Amino acid sequence: MMITKSELQPRADLYRLLSRLYRVEVDQPLLDALKELRFPQAENETLAEGYAMLRGYLDSCGPEALDDLAVDYATVFLAAGSADGAAAIPCESVYTSPKKLFMQEAWEDVVRIYREKNLARETDHSDLMEDHLALELEYMSLLVHQRAPQDEKYFLENHLLNWVPQLVADIDRYARVDFYKAVGRITLGFLQMEEQLLAALTDGTLRQAPSYSVRAERMDKILAQLKERYRVFAPKRIPKRGPKGTDLIRYGEIDRLSDIVYKEKSHFSAKEVFYPISQTMFYFTGESASQKELEDERDIILIARPCDINAIRRLDNIFLHNGQSDLYYSRMREKLHIFMLECRESFDNCFCVSVGTNVCDDYSVAIRIDDICALAEIRDEDFLPYFEDEVPIEFMPEFVTQNRRNARLPKIRDRQQLGEICKLEYWNQFDEKCIACGGCNTVCPTCSCFDTVDIIYDETSRDGERRRVWSSCMLRDFTQTAGGALARKTQGANMRFKVLHKVYDYNLRFGGSEHMCVGCGRCIDRCPEGIDYLDTVNGLTDALAAAEKEGN
Amino acid sequence: MTNIMLPTPHRILSVLKETQAEYTFRVEYDGPTQHGQFFQLSIPKVGEAPISVSGKGEGYVEFTIRKVGRLTQGIFGLQPGDMLFMRGPYGKPFPVDDFKGKDLVVICGGTGMAPVKTMLNHFCDHPEEINSLYLIAGFKDINCVLFTEELEKFKRQEKFHTITTLDNSSAPGFETGMVTAHIPKVPFRDFADYNVAIVGPPVMMHFAALECLKNGAVEDKIWVSFERKMSCAVGKCGHCKINETYVCLEGPVFNYSRAKNLFD
Repeated sequence: MMITKSELQPRADLYRLLSRLYRVEVDQPLLDALKELRFPQAENETLAEGYAMLRGYLDSCGPEALDDLAVDYATVFLAAGSADGAAAIPCESVYTSPKKLFMQEAWEDVVRIYREKNLARETDHSDLMEDHLALELEYMSLLVHQRAPQDEKYFLENHLLNWVPQLVADIDRYARVDFYKAVGRITLGFLQMEEQLLAALTDGTLRQAPSYSVRAERMDKILAQLKERYRVFAPKRIPKRGPKGTDLIRYGEIDRLSDIVYKEKSHFSAKEVFYPISQTMFYFTGESASQKELEDERDIILIARPCDINAIRRLDNIFLHNGQSDLYYSRMREKLHIFMLECRESFDNCFCVSVGTNVCDDYSVAIRIDDICALAEIRDEDFLPYFEDEVPIEFMPEFVTQNRRNARLPKIRDRQQLGEICKLEYWNQFDEKCIACGGCNTVCPTCSCFDTVDIIYDETSRDGERRRVWSSCMLRDFTQTAGGALARKTQGANMRFKVLHKVYDYNLRFGGSEHMCVGCGRCIDRCPEGIDYLDTVNGLTDALAAAEKEGN
Repeated sequence: MTNIMLPTPHRILSVLKETQAEYTFRVEYDGPTQHGQFFQLSIPKVGEAPISVSGKGEGYVEFTIRKVGRLTQGIFGLQPGDMLFMRGPYGKPFPVDDFKGKDLVVICGGTGMAPVKTMLNHFCDHPEEINSLYLIAGFKDINCVLFTEELEKFKRQEKFHTITTLDNSSAPGFETGMVTAHIPKVPFRDFADYNVAIVGPPVMMHFAALECLKNGAVEDKIWVSFERKMSCAVGKCGHCKINETYVCLEGPVFNYSRAKNLFD
């Protein structure tokens, strides 16, 4: 069996979701998000039953659901209203110690493990024991991200599976509404599946993807073969086309390995390969409109770093999942095959690690390049034939684990606080500083906005085409309606809009654990006025903390 | 897969000059539309913009367009028989089914009457579906008054209490003052159940909503409709986004309790 597409992201997400459900009561945004969720088909019976039960509850719950759930949460997990304290206390030590006490042996071991990994509870969660189920599940999500199957297996076998089955039985006993019964079943079924998966992963039943060492001239031959069926895009150098006569590095079709610029960050992101700066959507006459068809039917190989690859999922959300699917994006997207360009060292202004986009698992081939050869890990069987004659080696791509800079994202509690943030004086500094050039949006791998532009072929006729062209929320007229009115009138307001989209709005809309910004830092590299996006985000977090302090 | 960006040409049946700056275009169309929805209208070489449906009948829809921008300027050059490119209808309509059997207050300013006009006509033709309808329609001055014939029709309808008002001037049949000045005339406290629809420029909607609240209306009975720049109207181009909300998908009609928490 070969791993063609990994399930890393959904696994980590489910761990995090369950962690959230055990941590505190359900609130309105979470309930809304759950209602929107589509539950996957599950082979594990307990998990399938849990999903069905939860679906049933969510479809039928009324306006009093939040109150019901809060009461049930308190009853089940906090022993509220129980004279003898009978409840499903979600702490491992309570289940595994002979006298059912907090902070016994299991707790000590969990504390030791967290400490070894350099982990500490966030101050917001200091009321939770380290062996609280919420924290244990969150720890597992972290291990999934770190790709540490041995550690996952150890923690699952020596901790979670030691007590969760009894806990789930207790939840079933004390819960009055189906919601937490379902959550319990989902937890148990999921952990059972994880046990099987991890056993397979660590036993080698799932064998490691085949990997090869390829000398540069051999790699050029492989590229030539690939180009018969694919167009191959990678960051390449365009001499003297950058600002002030510098070289420009952006994505283009390549012919040989040495075309790939792998020692520098590209100035533009990979998105222009499948979402071009300008594209014709249709041709028109005064009387009709006809769709523009693709000129090249070949599939596309995109050689890109993890940040740019992670950005694709964000663009997918906008173009494929926000309302109906967009044809122009979708037909290019379907052609994409991702070759991950290993990225082990951080460049200036990179902060991917702090936003979780330094790793990526969704690729067909991973390659490490140096001047004399390439190492390739082949995950997608379709590409095996091209590499089979090369020298087999052991190769697991590595990811950058530390950047020189880090993002501290603001935690926005609710709508009221969002309103307060929008009024912060903080944003006014950009009124003058930002010159509204839109460069930051242009180099951003996740910016998706566009304008439509009509082009006619000669002044007297109505024959022409409608194109769509990248737009920029930092342009002064981005929100201007026909009468000239602007919804956002200042560059400060535009900056707020951009920043909040990247670190708040997108996540609020699409859910999951990801924010839009992937931490490539290109907007910082690009800004002619020296506006530093990362400082802006971190500054907002600080301004928020300062405002909170003042308020108290 | 449907191409959501591709418009289809529709023939212009007639052009009615409402004022110096506002024309109503009647365009061949026989699909369904709901009250408060809009289309992306375009003419080749000029471009595309969202325009509310201001009228509807057998085999046609109407758009009332104000000559303010490049596109609208271009549209003004069109004659009956010319083609207008259209995509739509788009957007969440007014929840008219919820309005039935209750009192309805409609407050509009200038071309803001366009998005509520099909609804007004509906209730004017089916007065049995509502208890009463209070219409406050404000215009800048007598030269800016739109839909004169229909306003007369609304004034004749017994279930309707129609107030037309001019901002700073007086004319026969018109009151004077902003729409907000006339909101206290609406007997909110006597209504068993009611809804309020407010459409107009952002400032007007803001103050009209506050005035309704001051006069006893509650937030979740009030509905407003937003006008935004849109280059796609299908959740992609980003122009109409406010916080996490896309006006094209979740609007343009919003309940006030949500609208007041959208921060531009």
